[in-house]
Amino acid sequence: MSARKKVLLKVIILGDSGVGKTSLMNQYVNKKFSSSYKATIGADFLTKEVMVDDRLVTMQLWDTAGQERFQSLGVAFYRGADCCVLVYDVNNSKSFDMLDSWRDEFLIQASPNFPESFPFVVLGNKIDVEESKRQISQKRAMAYCQSKGNIPYFETSAKEAIHVEEAFEVIARNALAQEESEEYNEDTWATVNIHFDDPQGGCAC
Amino acid sequence: MSAPAGSGKGKQIVYTPPGSPSPPGSLHDLSDYDESEYNTITHTSSGRGVKLLHTKSKVYVHPTRNAKDNIPGFIALVQQKPPPSASSSSTSFASSTIPVHSLLLAWLPESQLGNAYSTYVKVDLIDDSSDTRETYLVPPPPAVSTSASATGTYAFAVPVDQIYSLILRPPNSGWTFGSLIINTKNGDSFPALFFHDKECASTIEQTRKRIRNFDPFGEDGNQFWGGEEVLRWMKKYARVEHSRLERDTYLVEPQSSDEKPWVPKPKDPQDNFAGSSANIKAPNVANIFAGGFDKVFKEVKWNVLERLSRVTNLTRQTAAEIADSPNVPPQLRRLLKTPEVAALQDEFDSARIYLARWAMAIAEQADKEKRKTVWSSSDVMRMEDSELGQFEILDIAVSRDTRDRKPLTLKEWNSWLDKDGKLTRRVDDVKERIFHDALDPGARKEIWLWLLGIYPWDSTLDERKAIMASRRDEYVRLKANWWNELPAKLKDEHFIDQKNRIEKDVHRTDRTVPIFAGENCPHPDPDSPFAEVGTNEHLEQMKDMLITYNEYNTTLGYVQGMSDLLAPIYAVMQDDAMAFWAFCQFMKQMERNFLRDQSGMRNQLVTIDHLVQLMDPKLYLHLKAADSADFFFLFRMLLIWFKREFAWEDVLVLWETLWTNFYSSQFVLFIALALLEKHRNVVMNNLTGFDTVLKYFNELSGTIDLTDTRIRAEHLFKQFEKKVEYTDRKSVQQRETESISWKSLTSVPGTPATPNSTSAAPVGAPPTPASRPGPRPGQRAATSAAIPGAAQKKNEELPTISPELRKLLSREVITAEGQL
Repeated sequence: MSARKKVLLKVIILGDSGVGKTSLMNQYVNKKFSSSYKATIGADFLTKEVMVDDRLVTMQLWDTAGQERFQSLGVAFYRGADCCVLVYDVNNSKSFDMLDSWRDEFLIQASPNFPESFPFVVLGNKIDVEESKRQISQKRAMAYCQSKGNIPYFETSAKEAIHVEEAFEVIARNALAQEESEEYNEDTWATVNIHFDDPQGGCAC
Repeated sequence: MSAPAGSGKGKQIVYTPPGSPSPPGSLHDLSDYDESEYNTITHTSSGRGVKLLHTKSKVYVHPTRNAKDNIPGFIALVQQKPPPSASSSSTSFASSTIPVHSLLLAWLPESQLGNAYSTYVKVDLIDDSSDTRETYLVPPPPAVSTSASATGTYAFAVPVDQIYSLILRPPNSGWTFGSLIINTKNGDSFPALFFHDKECASTIEQTRKRIRNFDPFGEDGNQFWGGEEVLRWMKKYARVEHSRLERDTYLVEPQSSDEKPWVPKPKDPQDNFAGSSANIKAPNVANIFAGGFDKVFKEVKWNVLERLSRVTNLTRQTAAEIADSPNVPPQLRRLLKTPEVAALQDEFDSARIYLARWAMAIAEQADKEKRKTVWSSSDVMRMEDSELGQFEILDIAVSRDTRDRKPLTLKEWNSWLDKDGKLTRRVDDVKERIFHDALDPGARKEIWLWLLGIYPWDSTLDERKAIMASRRDEYVRLKANWWNELPAKLKDEHFIDQKNRIEKDVHRTDRTVPIFAGENCPHPDPDSPFAEVGTNEHLEQMKDMLITYNEYNTTLGYVQGMSDLLAPIYAVMQDDAMAFWAFCQFMKQMERNFLRDQSGMRNQLVTIDHLVQLMDPKLYLHLKAADSADFFFLFRMLLIWFKREFAWEDVLVLWETLWTNFYSSQFVLFIALALLEKHRNVVMNNLTGFDTVLKYFNELSGTIDLTDTRIRAEHLFKQFEKKVEYTDRKSVQQRETESISWKSLTSVPGTPATPNSTSAAPVGAPPTPASRPGPRPGQRAATSAAIPGAAQKKNEELPTISPELRKLLSREVITAEGQL
């Protein structure tokens, strides 16, 4: 464990269609925004190398199709995820209401070892849109996140690059922590297994 | 057998074959030394001579395996006087002055030549590149044109126009003699003639001469031998075609019906599997080029890989260094400086993907260097040879040269309609044309309505006008249904969701295509997220059509991806009603892709899984190891028929060819397979995980050559079809053999086996060469099945043809209901 091997952090971005998943990812990785990203079909990912404290890690950010029915296929990439980012559009209450089902869906498909402590991050996107259109207040969103075990929450604009960098820094940090705890748990399991290898009783005859 | 009569000696005649005057000064102009009154041996029995045009000595018949029994002789091409009845017929070789039917190909044992022996020896040694025009008359050879009647002396003379084919097997140095077998049109074969080149004075002389001229090798790179000379004589006077399937076979004066069996037919797979189609080799030049280039590339690749593995950020610099290195071949240097590659370097996501794309780009560039602009059959053959090594090349006819083929224009189409506007062509012919050549842009608006089944193939113009009118009315009615109730509808949460979804998707569908680009209209709904940016009339039409579809197909509704399917149709039609109905028709085929349970997509991915297992097991194993055997990486391509992978214009071409359902209603899966095969080497050498495979295929978007892909796909379909047929035939055979062996095993001892029982035939005694009929097209197939002793052969392991694979052979469209 002491040897610093190369770390690949797998991050899954989920949320309703049109909330800005592709845009957030592209803003973070390529520092670009385009209003004409096509609807994502299937799945795709971008990678970015970042420093977390003094460690160089590679983040693999998975972008998915927003329409529910496309979730049933190709969830293979959920497995081994280190962090899940839930995105909604602050101007679309429906997309906020859907956060719970996205979260549940992820926990079922990815089946992490310790679902209660698995790191999620919630992003409320499109805060650049005029205030009158806003449907979900910051207060409401934060209350929700608190109720789900203090999920970190950021209000972002992919278009104007607001809080995107900060959000992904937290995502990277939490993902790395998760990755390390998973490794630790695997080691623990291996140790425990050795004990199980030696059954105490033998036969009762 | 008497010597030529002397009556005409010295008299000069001008021999002019009927119908074709002799060009002055041609090699065949016999005016100077010609002698009169030679014979027509197949028609008269008088004892005059025939002209000995060419001959070669030390050509043997080997009646037994014992060399002592070999009979030396001469092979000769002689000219007889044409029979009067044939004067105006069957002169097919226009450039020759000697009609084919006046020629005979003969073999005579030395012992039978008598006084003529010296003439034969002399003609053998004549160098016909020198200017001699002397004519030698010899006694007519025996007019024998069937092998059975030649059994006594083996001597024969076959009229050249009776020859079907020549099988020329070149010598295998130090092991076998070169041989020639003549097959006649009535299905007969003459005993093989063996060329003892080292004894033959003329061959020795010709070989020596070639070496002097720095050309010790014949045209195809093999050692020069006597048979080549015979072929050369034949080509002087007759049309001789090299069979494209059998390397050693040459067809003489083939009719189109003769050529047919040599082009594989889908209905007769045995021909191709049992035949020696594996003999076909790629052209040497291409291989040499590819080989050299590959080597260089491999070295460069390792260099790059080593550096990339250290730090990804160095990539661009490394690529630049490589471009400046003097060791880099010019092709590669040119490639590295193209804007595409430069852009690619800016966009890379990980070293491995970058490298894989780079490798592919290099391979493509190398390919382009080789093929220039147009695909030809040889390119396709080479490609199959290198990338699908485990396959035999089964069908060359697939790789049609596209140079002369043009898309179907509206003008041409209209010329196919009669006065009532009814199509006068067979539907299959029309589909074949469109499948291969696609449509001219001006023809799409009309013909897509036929392809998509709005217009029946047997409709008249009046009927089509009526259809169009009623469809327009129907669309207006459907649209009014929801439009008039919009206030109520806007209280329905599902409707609002769908409407918003459509709105979002239309605003991000094909906005780079001119008709969808504008934002000149104010948005009708001030609350829309797009109210600020504006819209245009075509976007609004798109939204209306999709909402109407959502209300029309209530079980499915609008699903993401449909806007991608509608956009090209609307852009071509520019008529909302007709575009709507054309889209609905298309959706009948695509519906299963969008089912809630995703069963349709799952089914297609399973089919692809089976298809790759059958067609390319090695690639399949690799994909499995790379965690990609769920083929999810093809999801986008299959969901919307490669809409995101090809450029706009190419999508139109691809879709209209797919709509023909010409080979299969699921031909799109072969397009996917073609893409996989094209990139198989990159995949197998560079991509090791689910993520890199997915990324690699996603990033192919915008880089795929459609023509190339279509040709490959067609090729693969034909290979698939043959594999299925072969497997089916073999499994029937195996079942039959099993039942025969079972019968013979259970027959009571002492009772004789049934006379026809295959298992009773002697095993291991090959038929003698003289009695074995030469292979004829179409016959070869039957022999492998009929070989005695096949019953004892261990059953071949046959692949499983799953029901999913069988469905690929159907042209019937699979609807959402049909798939459940």
